[in-house]
Amino acid sequence: MALQPFLALGVVLFGLGLFGALTKRNIIIVLISIELMLNAANINLVAFAHFSQPAQIQGQVYALFSMAIAAAEVAVGLAILLAFFRHRNSADMKDVDLMKW
Amino acid sequence: MIFGIPITGQTITYFLLALIIMISGVMLMSLQKVMHMAVALGGVFLGVAGIFILLGADFLGMAQILIYAGAITILMVFALMLTQRGDDTESPPANGWRVGGALVFVVLLCAAFLYVLRGTAWPVTQSAVDPYTQPSVVLLAQSIFHTYTVPFELVSVLLTVALVGAVVIARKEEE
Amino acid sequence: MQTHAWIIPALPLLAYVILLIFGKRLRETVAATISVLAILVGFVLAVLVMQEVATNGPIVATTFNWLSFGATTITVGFSVTSLNALMLVVVTLVSTLVLLFSRAYMHKDDRFVRFYQYLNLFVFAMLGLVVSPNTLQFYIFWELVGVCSYLLVGFWYYKPEAAAAAKKAFIVTRIGDVGLFIGIILLYLGTGTFNFNQMFQGSPVSAGLGHSAAALNGGLAMPWFHLHGLMFAGWHPLFGMSPYGFVTLCAILVFIGAVGKSAQFPLHVWLPDAMEGPTPVSALIHAATMVAAGVYLVGRMYPLFLASSGASETVAIIGGFTALLAASIGLTQRDIKRVIAYSTVSQLGYMMMALGVGAYVSGFFHLMTHAFFKALLFLAAGSIIHAIDTQDLFQMGGLRKKMPLTHITFLAGALALSGIPPFAGFWSKDDILSATFDSGHYVLYAMGLLAAFFTAIYIFRVYFLAFGGVAKTEKHAHEGGLAMKVPLIVLAILATLAGFINAPFWPELGNFLQDRGPIGYDPGANYPLMAMSAIVGLLGIWVAYAVYSKEGRAERMATRMGVLYKLSFHKWYVDEAYQFSIVWLVMKLADVLNFIDRWIVDGIVKVIGEVAYLGGVSLKYSNTGQVQTYGLVTLVGLLLLVAAAIGIGGVL
Repeated sequence: MALQPFLALGVVLFGLGLFGALTKRNIIIVLISIELMLNAANINLVAFAHFSQPAQIQGQVYALFSMAIAAAEVAVGLAILLAFFRHRNSADMKDVDLMKW
Repeated sequence: MIFGIPITGQTITYFLLALIIMISGVMLMSLQKVMHMAVALGGVFLGVAGIFILLGADFLGMAQILIYAGAITILMVFALMLTQRGDDTESPPANGWRVGGALVFVVLLCAAFLYVLRGTAWPVTQSAVDPYTQPSVVLLAQSIFHTYTVPFELVSVLLTVALVGAVVIARKEEE
Repeated sequence: MQTHAWIIPALPLLAYVILLIFGKRLRETVAATISVLAILVGFVLAVLVMQEVATNGPIVATTFNWLSFGATTITVGFSVTSLNALMLVVVTLVSTLVLLFSRAYMHKDDRFVRFYQYLNLFVFAMLGLVVSPNTLQFYIFWELVGVCSYLLVGFWYYKPEAAAAAKKAFIVTRIGDVGLFIGIILLYLGTGTFNFNQMFQGSPVSAGLGHSAAALNGGLAMPWFHLHGLMFAGWHPLFGMSPYGFVTLCAILVFIGAVGKSAQFPLHVWLPDAMEGPTPVSALIHAATMVAAGVYLVGRMYPLFLASSGASETVAIIGGFTALLAASIGLTQRDIKRVIAYSTVSQLGYMMMALGVGAYVSGFFHLMTHAFFKALLFLAAGSIIHAIDTQDLFQMGGLRKKMPLTHITFLAGALALSGIPPFAGFWSKDDILSATFDSGHYVLYAMGLLAAFFTAIYIFRVYFLAFGGVAKTEKHAHEGGLAMKVPLIVLAILATLAGFINAPFWPELGNFLQDRGPIGYDPGANYPLMAMSAIVGLLGIWVAYAVYSKEGRAERMATRMGVLYKLSFHKWYVDEAYQFSIVWLVMKLADVLNFIDRWIVDGIVKVIGEVAYLGGVSLKYSNTGQVQTYGLVTLVGLLLLVAAAIGIGGVL
C-alpha cells in the first residue's frame, strides 16, 4: 500500500465535511460536519505515522489528542447550541446572526 | 493487478472501507431526515475506525469507535431530539447560490489538494501491514506517559474545563 | 546696583501678577498704588543704575544659557550700557507719571484694574526690551510690546473704532516686525550670534568708524567694529553679497522693524488711529514705550548703520520725510489727540533723521526731551478731554480761565515742542537740525526746518483753539484731582528744564552716552542755526496766532489753501491709497484663497470622507452575521492561496 490513497481519502472526507459545514442549516449537522473534517485530519496523521520510515508512533499520539479536543469541542458546541436554542427557540444557522450589523 | 494496483487483502480492505466512508458521507450530506443523517454519521465514524486499524493503530481504532461512533453520535442524536420538536426534516438550504458556490469551491479545493498529492514525491511505500516493532498500545502508552506527559495532563485539564464550561453554558438561567 | 538692574523690569511684572491674581477684588486705589509704587521704585533704581554707569562705566552683560543647539547657545539675561540706563530712567519716569495720571482719568471705569494690569505688562515689556542683551530676547519683548499696545489701544473694545484701531496697530507693526525678524536671522547667519556685544566685535569692515562702535557696546575692550562672522576665516558672504551689501541689507531690514514700531512713513498710519485708546495709553505709547522702541532699536544696532552709509542715508531720508509729512498733516486735523499723534510721528522722524545723519547723541537727547513734553501734551489733552468730554478742537475754547494749571502746563509742552528757547525741545531739536546741516544734508535740513515751522503752527493752533477764544460748550470745565495735577506739574518742569542737561555749554548727556569715545557725528554748537530754528518756531507761533485767535479766519484760510488743505486734512490720502492698493489686493487674494479653501480643498476632503462613509455604510450590509457565508468567503481565499502556492511551487 502507498500513502497517497489514505491522504486522498482524507481529502475527500475533508471536502464532504467542509461542504456540509458551509451549506447545512441545522446547527447540529454543521457540528457533525466539523467532526468529519477533524476525522479527515486524523486519518492523515495516522497514515503519516504508518508510512514514515521507520514507522513513528507520534502521529497516533497527535490523533489521540485531537480526538480528546474534538470531544471537548462537541461538548462545548452542544452546550452553546442548547443555550442558543433556549434563547432563540431555533436550531437554524440562519438565525445565528448576532454579529450582523 | 487491476489498474496497476496489487490485489491484496490490504488493498481490498482499504477500498471497502473507503467505499463505506464515502457512501456514508455522501448520504450524510444528502439525506433529509436528521435521524438518518445520524445513522450515516455512525457509518463514517466506523469506516474511519477501520482505516485506523488497517494502518496498525488498533488502540486508536477502538477509541474512535468508542468516542465517535459511540459517544458523539449518541450525543448528537440526543441534541437533535432535544431541538427538533417532532419535525426532524432538515430545512432546505436558505440560499441556492451559496450551496452551488460551496460545491464549486469545495470541489476545486479538493482538486487542488489531490493535484498536490499527486505531484509530491512521497517516501517509499511501506509493505508491512503492521510496521510497528511493538503493539501500538505499548508504544502509545510509552509515548503518552513518558514523552508527552505534560501535554497529556494539559489535555485532561482542557477536558475538565470544557466539561465545566459546557455545563455552565447549557444551564438554564435562573430568573 | 547694575548687577541688580533686572529688578527694574521685574517690578512691573510683579505688579502685573498681583493685579492678575487679585483682579477685580482690588479697590481702585490699591491697584493704582501698587502699580505706581512698583514703577516708582523702578525709577529710583534706574536713577541709581544711571548714576553708577556714569561713575564706573557699564558692566559686562549678565546672561544665562537658555537653549543649546549645535555650536550655538541662546542666552537670556540683561545688560546695562549707558544707552540702556538712559532709557530705563526715561521709561520708568514717564510711566510712573502716566500711571499716576490714569488713576484719575480711568476713575470709575468698569475694568480699572484690568487697565492697570495691561499698563504694568506694557511697562514690563518695554523695560525688558531695553535691558535685553541679545536680539532674540529683544525680539520677544518687542512682540510683547506690540501685544500690549493691541490690548491697550483696543481697551474700549466695544467701540468699533477702537477695535479696528487696535487691529490696525497690530497688523501694521507686524509688517515691520517681519522685516526685523528676517534681519535678526540674517545677522545670526552672518555673525553666528544673537548677542549684541559679540555681533559687533572683531576686526574692521569699516575701519574709520571702529572707535565709535566700540563705545556703543559697553566698552568691552573691543577697539574694532566688524560683523564678527563676516570676516571669519572661510566665511562666504550670504547670497554672494559683498560684506557691505550684506550689512546694508541687514540694517535696512532692522530699520523696517523700527519703521513699523516708530510709525515712520510708510507704516505711520497706525499711530494716529491708535488715538482711540484711552489717553494715558496714548501718552505711554507716544512718550515712553512703544514708539521709542523703534528709535532705541536703531540706536542699539547703531554699529550696523555706521557700517553702511546706504542704510543710514535711508534712515535719514525716511526720518526727514516723515517729519515733514506728519507735521503737514498735523496742521489741519480736528481731533486734539490726532494732532498730537501726528506731532509724535513727526518728532520720531526727527529722531530717525538724527540717527541717520549720524547724530547719535542728538537723537537720544530728543527722544528723552520728547518723552517729557509729549507725555505732558497728552496728559494735558487728557485733562481737557476728561473735563469737557470732547476731542474736537473746534468745540473747545476759553479753557484758559477754567483750567489754569492745564493751560500753563500745556503751554510749556507746546513751547518745548515748538523749539522755543529755553524749553527742552529747543535744545534737542536744534541739535538735530545743526547736525543735519553740518553733516551736509542741506535738503534734509530744509525739510526739518519746514517741519519745525509746521510744528509750531499746529501745536499753537491747538493751543489757541483750546485755550483761547470763548467757551463753546455748556459743560462746566474743571481741573482734575491731585493725581492729574502732579504728573502735569512734574512733566511741565521737565519739559522746561530737561534741555539743559545737553545744552551746548554743558553737554552732560553727550558725555554720558559717549563714555567710551565719540559715537557718530556730534557737532558743536552752531549759534546762527540755533537762532534760525528759534526764529522759525516764533514765526510759526505768530502764524498760528494770526489765523486761529480770531473767529472765522481759519475757514477762510482753509478755502484759500484749496488742494493743499484737502491733502493735509485727508492725511495725503495715504490710508486711502493703502485701502485701494494693498488692502484691496490682499482682500481679493483672501477671497480667492477662501474660495479655493472652501470649495476645492474642503471639497476634496469632503469627497474623500463621503466616499469612505458611503463605502462603510454600504459594506456594512455585507456583514450579515451568517457564519457560513463568512466560511465560504474564507474558503475562496484559501483556494486562492493554495492555487498561488501551487503556482509558485510551494510555500517555502
